[in-house]
Amino acid sequence: MKNFKLFFLFSRNALRTTLQARSGVWFFMIGKICRFAFFFLMILLIFGKTKIVRGYSLPQMLVFYLTFNLIDTTAQILFREVYRFRYQVISGEFDLTLAKPFHPFVKILIGGVDFLDLLLLIPYLLLTLHFAWQTHAVTAFNLVAYFVLLFNSLLIATAFHIVVLALGILTTDVDHTIMIYRDLTGMARFPMQIYQEPLREIFTFIIPVGLMMTFPSQALFNLLKPSFFALAFLISFTMIFLSLRLWNAALKKYQSWGG
Amino acid sequence: MISIKNLTKIYRTPIRGKHFVTDLFNHHYKKITALDQVSFEIGQNELIGFIGPNGAGKTTTLKILSGILYPTSGDAKVLGFTPFDKKPAFLKQIGFVMGQRNQLIWDLPAVDTFVLNKEIYDVSDQDYQKNIDDLISILNCRDVIDKPVKTLSLGQRMKMELIATLLHRPKLIFFDEPTIGLDIFSQEAVRKFIKTYQKEFKSTIILTSHYLEDVKRLAKRLLIINQGKILYDDDLKTILEKFGGGKYVTVMLEKGVDQNLLTKIGAPITNQFPKVVYRVKRSDIPQTINLINQLLPYSDLTVEDERIEEIIKKLFGK
Repeated sequence: MKNFKLFFLFSRNALRTTLQARSGVWFFMIGKICRFAFFFLMILLIFGKTKIVRGYSLPQMLVFYLTFNLIDTTAQILFREVYRFRYQVISGEFDLTLAKPFHPFVKILIGGVDFLDLLLLIPYLLLTLHFAWQTHAVTAFNLVAYFVLLFNSLLIATAFHIVVLALGILTTDVDHTIMIYRDLTGMARFPMQIYQEPLREIFTFIIPVGLMMTFPSQALFNLLKPSFFALAFLISFTMIFLSLRLWNAALKKYQSWGG
Repeated sequence: MISIKNLTKIYRTPIRGKHFVTDLFNHHYKKITALDQVSFEIGQNELIGFIGPNGAGKTTTLKILSGILYPTSGDAKVLGFTPFDKKPAFLKQIGFVMGQRNQLIWDLPAVDTFVLNKEIYDVSDQDYQKNIDDLISILNCRDVIDKPVKTLSLGQRMKMELIATLLHRPKLIFFDEPTIGLDIFSQEAVRKFIKTYQKEFKSTIILTSHYLEDVKRLAKRLLIINQGKILYDDDLKTILEKFGGGKYVTVMLEKGVDQNLLTKIGAPITNQFPKVVYRVKRSDIPQTINLINQLLPYSDLTVEDERIEEIIKKLFGK
């Protein structure tokens, strides 16, 4: 309960800080909308030439893309503070977080909710439901499975971000590791079927960005085997467990830079 | 309250090789011993001055005691807890003021950080209001708590930092260079605050500072550390008796005198008319003063203990 209250206060302060830079807010929003619009346009152009890509129709392909955006944006909303972690480590401000009686993740993982991205989430969600409806394959059960797997994807995203934080402590580098994460998840903008083996297996199970980004949509279209459903949770829980182990080991190695 | 035994902390730092490309593949590290088998105990309500040159191990000790750093070996017990376990019950009882770091939210007024800390430390509404009022009144800073932190001077920010750290009334406070970079008025305000706070709230305080004036004015007990080892742990007064070999006798001459006359008393360590300073053994003081009375025309004469700075320099020299 206390951590929720702190999360609320950190988020409120993050919003107030964000709103200090008004021109920055507009540029950020325009940039995000442009990027989304260009990808959307690209999909429409591809489907202007063909009806089916790797067995998926245009609405299905759009749902894959929108689902990627939903997960990616939610992760950025929640974990924006991770992008600022390097500064906290090299300046030594992380020391002050460690000396306070709350779990440091409340500050360094989810302590800087990005409200600008939150605004983009609403159109993504509405468009996803709109195109999902056009596939005529969506049932109530599939919809529940979809949202459950979205939650599972966020668990995997959480594990990835905890690993980035742990590596931030060990190497003082955050920018590059977070870019690797972004690039890897970007490979799963579209269904894994567009890749040949063994890339498909690697992206699905070893670096589970496929599992993270495409399983929810496959469940929505009733294309996911039940065993894969269980596997998705097994992998996400294993990743959370391992990332926490790495975090605890990193804390013991923390050297407190900056004096 | 604090008990540490054989505390050792070794840092591992990368060594740069001769070529930046080969460095990418060959990692070499050197080990730096920041603390070497350090042991000491601190009781309740003590105010300890903890001094040493840069890199001596002062801040590392405080960071281990507050649970920020994990010791390489040795035991540390603080308020009955092992600090690195980071138990909330332990962290709620400590406060850490770092002169070179700040916890205040840069774009927002300091009061927003206070509200955040109120929740972090589970301070009741009633206690929050009382503690804030007490601290504001001691620091005389009511008019700045509502201004954005980025608009405050360094001295004002330090005052806000003190309120943010102390509003939960910690039993144990670590002050790490709280006066660094401050002008003399702000330094004085911080010193006065620490003294008043400790007297009023009976907290245990460990104070590190590069300014010996801070320690001389505030601490009764002194811990001196160098190269990770404790060189001295005793009363501030005792260091003068133990290591202060002499006293300084300063004579302000009324008129110029012959150099031979001056050296009859002893070899002066400073001789710039009208000021002449002699360093004299404690036992020789009466005899020296007699001689000065007989031989020198002076307007003022003072006898002072050897300066603590000199004593500490001698200790580090050892």
